[in-house]
Amino acid sequence: MANLDTLHRRAFLKRAGAVSALGAGAPLALNLAAAGEAAAFTATDYKAIVCVFLFGGNDHGNTVIPYDTTNYALYEKIRASVARARPTLAATAITPKTAQTLTDNLQYALAPELGALKSLWDSGQCAVQLNIGPLAAPTTLAQYKSADRKANPLPPKLFSHNDQQSVWQALGEEGTTIGWGGRIGDLAMSSNGTSSLTCISAAGNSVFVSGDTVLPYQISPGGVSPVYSATYDFYGTAMATTMKTLITQRSSNVLEDAFAGVTQRGLDLQFQVANALKPITIATPFNIDGQDNRLADQLSIVAKLIAARSTLGQKRQVFFVSLGGFDNHDGLLTNHGPLLAKVNEAIGQFYKATVELGVQNNVTTFTASDFGRTLASNGDGSDHGWGAHHFIVGGAVKGGQFYGKAPSISITTEDQVGEGRLLPTTSVDQYAATLARWFGVSDSEMPTILPRIGNFATSNLGFMT
Amino acid sequence: MQNSEYVRSNFAGSFEEDLSAPAAADISTASPLSAFGITDAQAARFLQQAQFSSTRSEISSVKSLGYSAWLARQYAARMSPSAWNFLAATGYSVAQSTASDQRFFSNEITPMIWNQLFTGYDQARKRMTLALSEFMVVSVNPLDAFWPTYLMAAYWDILKANVFGNFRNLLEDVTLNPAMGRYLNTVGNLKEDPATGRRPDENYAREVMQLFTIGLYKLNNDGSIKTDAAGVKQESYTQSDTENLARVFTGYDLDYARSRQMAVPYLSYPIPDPEFARGRLAFKDSDHSTLAVTFLGTTIPANTPGPVAMKSALDTLFNHPNVGPFFGRQMIQRLVTSNPSAAYIGRVAAAFNNNGAGVRGDMKAVWTAILTDPEARTLPTSFNAGKVREPIVRAVQWGRTFRVTSTSGKWLLYQQGSSEYGLAHEPLRSPSVFNFFRPGYVPPNTGIAAASLVAPEFQLHDEVSSAGYINYLADFVSSSFGYRNDIKPNYTFLLPIAGNAKALVAWVNLHLTANQLSANTVSLITASIEKLAITGTSTDKDRLNRIYGAILLVMACPEYLIQK
Repeated sequence: MANLDTLHRRAFLKRAGAVSALGAGAPLALNLAAAGEAAAFTATDYKAIVCVFLFGGNDHGNTVIPYDTTNYALYEKIRASVARARPTLAATAITPKTAQTLTDNLQYALAPELGALKSLWDSGQCAVQLNIGPLAAPTTLAQYKSADRKANPLPPKLFSHNDQQSVWQALGEEGTTIGWGGRIGDLAMSSNGTSSLTCISAAGNSVFVSGDTVLPYQISPGGVSPVYSATYDFYGTAMATTMKTLITQRSSNVLEDAFAGVTQRGLDLQFQVANALKPITIATPFNIDGQDNRLADQLSIVAKLIAARSTLGQKRQVFFVSLGGFDNHDGLLTNHGPLLAKVNEAIGQFYKATVELGVQNNVTTFTASDFGRTLASNGDGSDHGWGAHHFIVGGAVKGGQFYGKAPSISITTEDQVGEGRLLPTTSVDQYAATLARWFGVSDSEMPTILPRIGNFATSNLGFMT
Repeated sequence: MQNSEYVRSNFAGSFEEDLSAPAAADISTASPLSAFGITDAQAARFLQQAQFSSTRSEISSVKSLGYSAWLARQYAARMSPSAWNFLAATGYSVAQSTASDQRFFSNEITPMIWNQLFTGYDQARKRMTLALSEFMVVSVNPLDAFWPTYLMAAYWDILKANVFGNFRNLLEDVTLNPAMGRYLNTVGNLKEDPATGRRPDENYAREVMQLFTIGLYKLNNDGSIKTDAAGVKQESYTQSDTENLARVFTGYDLDYARSRQMAVPYLSYPIPDPEFARGRLAFKDSDHSTLAVTFLGTTIPANTPGPVAMKSALDTLFNHPNVGPFFGRQMIQRLVTSNPSAAYIGRVAAAFNNNGAGVRGDMKAVWTAILTDPEARTLPTSFNAGKVREPIVRAVQWGRTFRVTSTSGKWLLYQQGSSEYGLAHEPLRSPSVFNFFRPGYVPPNTGIAAASLVAPEFQLHDEVSSAGYINYLADFVSSSFGYRNDIKPNYTFLLPIAGNAKALVAWVNLHLTANQLSANTVSLITASIEKLAITGTSTDKDRLNRIYGAILLVMACPEYLIQK
């Protein structure tokens, strides 16, 4: 699969990784000099992709909602007690910028809480990718039902939270260690002055941002905490030096060694990142409704890191943020709206912050989630599904349009596998490829990031400029 | 201190007579072997797997009884007061609520659960209960109900009551427990309705299979995954199994009939007392699915009465050959090592399958098999050995080793789970039913990944939490903590050896790490605290500072954090 070119590149990246691991705290110039060896991916501009992961499986049926009377009636009948009321959708009904005829002449509204996304749709910076999910290859209902799994492969462990989170982020079940965000980072890290800040999670450990070479850096919404006792002598002892030595001490025991490695990385970067963030102020508020919003908090630190990109020498970055609580088997109508309101506030304000920083065309935000959910109701919630609808937001997005094929509002058609669990018509691989190409990954490199991309008709879904 | 006598008498059982004179015998490197050939370090290592602390008296007890008899004694020990009783005794009632402190809506379980963990002589039981609470997970975070505190207390109490019982009873008690019912939506789960297209909620049906009993793939008894002729892993259940099993869990609801409704002047509706939160869910026949249930090769005929269908379904799950290796492997991971050998898993699974007297699911047999196995009892020499000590376990070990007490008796702690400044881990507050960390978690780009190993607890360790833990530790080691400094450690018993840095570090090394610090680490720590000179005129404050320094450096260092 890998051609000579990419093998050379990978060998180089390994070396670059080694240099960077030693030199994260070393002078910027040294790292830049090392990066100069890289022939490809010589980015001069800045680009970032931001994955907003909605943990628990977002109910896509109540996120992008049928609005024309015919399809709304079908939706209302199937969803019964968990249907949103049609009049509440009027303000967030969306019309494609360029006319599109969707399956069964569907017209959609966004959930009423998604006003900012609706505005971004109208102004052309928000697109909707319809019915996307993990696929091994294009799959029909008959192939899904086939007993011959060898001829008709499916993604592993459909409907299971942890596994589908992993498949979305890393194209394999739980335990997979390299995410597609990380693989993109592997290719891009040589563009960056501080290669260890190529892939960043503001939401704890996440496989999405783990590469083959690139190590994800975790940051908290509050910024960077130093280990105080490794800097100051606590309790009147001579502790600081010993503390620093002990907590970063490499070991022949692989667990101890890995544990110390993470701590070392944090220490290496703590002053560099803290100093770079110190002068940053962003006027755009991230919390406008006064409610707690952990997603907005995370996107706020992402915006600050983007603002500090020049100080940190960054050209290409992959970010991961998340919000939990979407597994609404119960209380869907009560719980889902407030969650979407957080998503709306966080993504909407983050987009405004990128405008303030003048990088709105350089930053692309997209949503992802474990899976979609059943269209059928279980009384006051919905159960685990497969395909779902997702948002792509940014100045480089060809917004105000739908991409992909709209599924019928049905629990019996061929585009679902029962109870309205959507059989995806677009794969995560294609979604990833479209974002990766915009980011700078070449066609020849695409299979190293997405080994199954060749199974699909196109690697460009068209939603990026 | 007015309350100290109360505290002492109330919790006197917690720490026995232990440690009053931790001098010569404790710091001796030539401590005699016991009749069972067990050294101090071996006893401490065992205790750090089987419970939280390894104090002098606990070490002596293991040495004199041997491992199996020590465990048998734990199994037979009377249970210390329940979590439920703690709430009742510390003012959680409708009568003691006010308009500004509506305790029936509070989900503040921190005092209750840390009281459970920090106190009580039945420590092994609590250590294993904690492990169960990370396997059959209920988290208070999303619990939207009256009395989340009592719901969680009752859940903890049934885990604790079953931890030395039988897995089959545990499974049934968990399935019909109100907190679990609320958490995974068995509460209010209605049968299908063809008229509206409504179908049963699948949540509990899926998770009871995936997480609580059989897991995703068919397993051999040694925990390895079964594959078909083409080498494809065999899945243990299908979506159809989930949809069918979901029917069994319809017709259940919270049993408010058990609660007295009490009027309060500040609300327009009455408040139930907490009784509904313990005992079992109520069953209502008319809400129960009458369809046949075909799952995992069993068929429960249409119109089978709900309780009979429940028994049949739980029996089917319990008797599935996966349960022993699936449950056994994860309990080994919690207590002993992240990467047990297949043979070790096989031996534990065999004990699950048959306790030697023909009984399946005997939990005592499982714990004994895990903790007395040669692979647990032999100090490993492999560079791949060990596990990350869970942050909760580190905190409880510290608290019990240094005899924390609550001045008020109410254990007024704040939540400890922040990753920016805290443990990044907290009992009964998992972010989801998948626990804080997954049994198959592989830290990317590490030697652990390169060696194809897993390290579940490593999922909590990142650049944020590594600093957050050490900063937090630095504060709580050296001072009182909690609301109005309610929680206090007691280091007085160590003052006599604080002047001797070597002796002090040796003491901390044995009791916190089972002597797993390298000679180099010991000498670095010793040199570091020795810089703070102790002379004839030194105050206890100086001595305490040495103690804080030694504990902080040990508990921050990877040789401690990776338990081997």
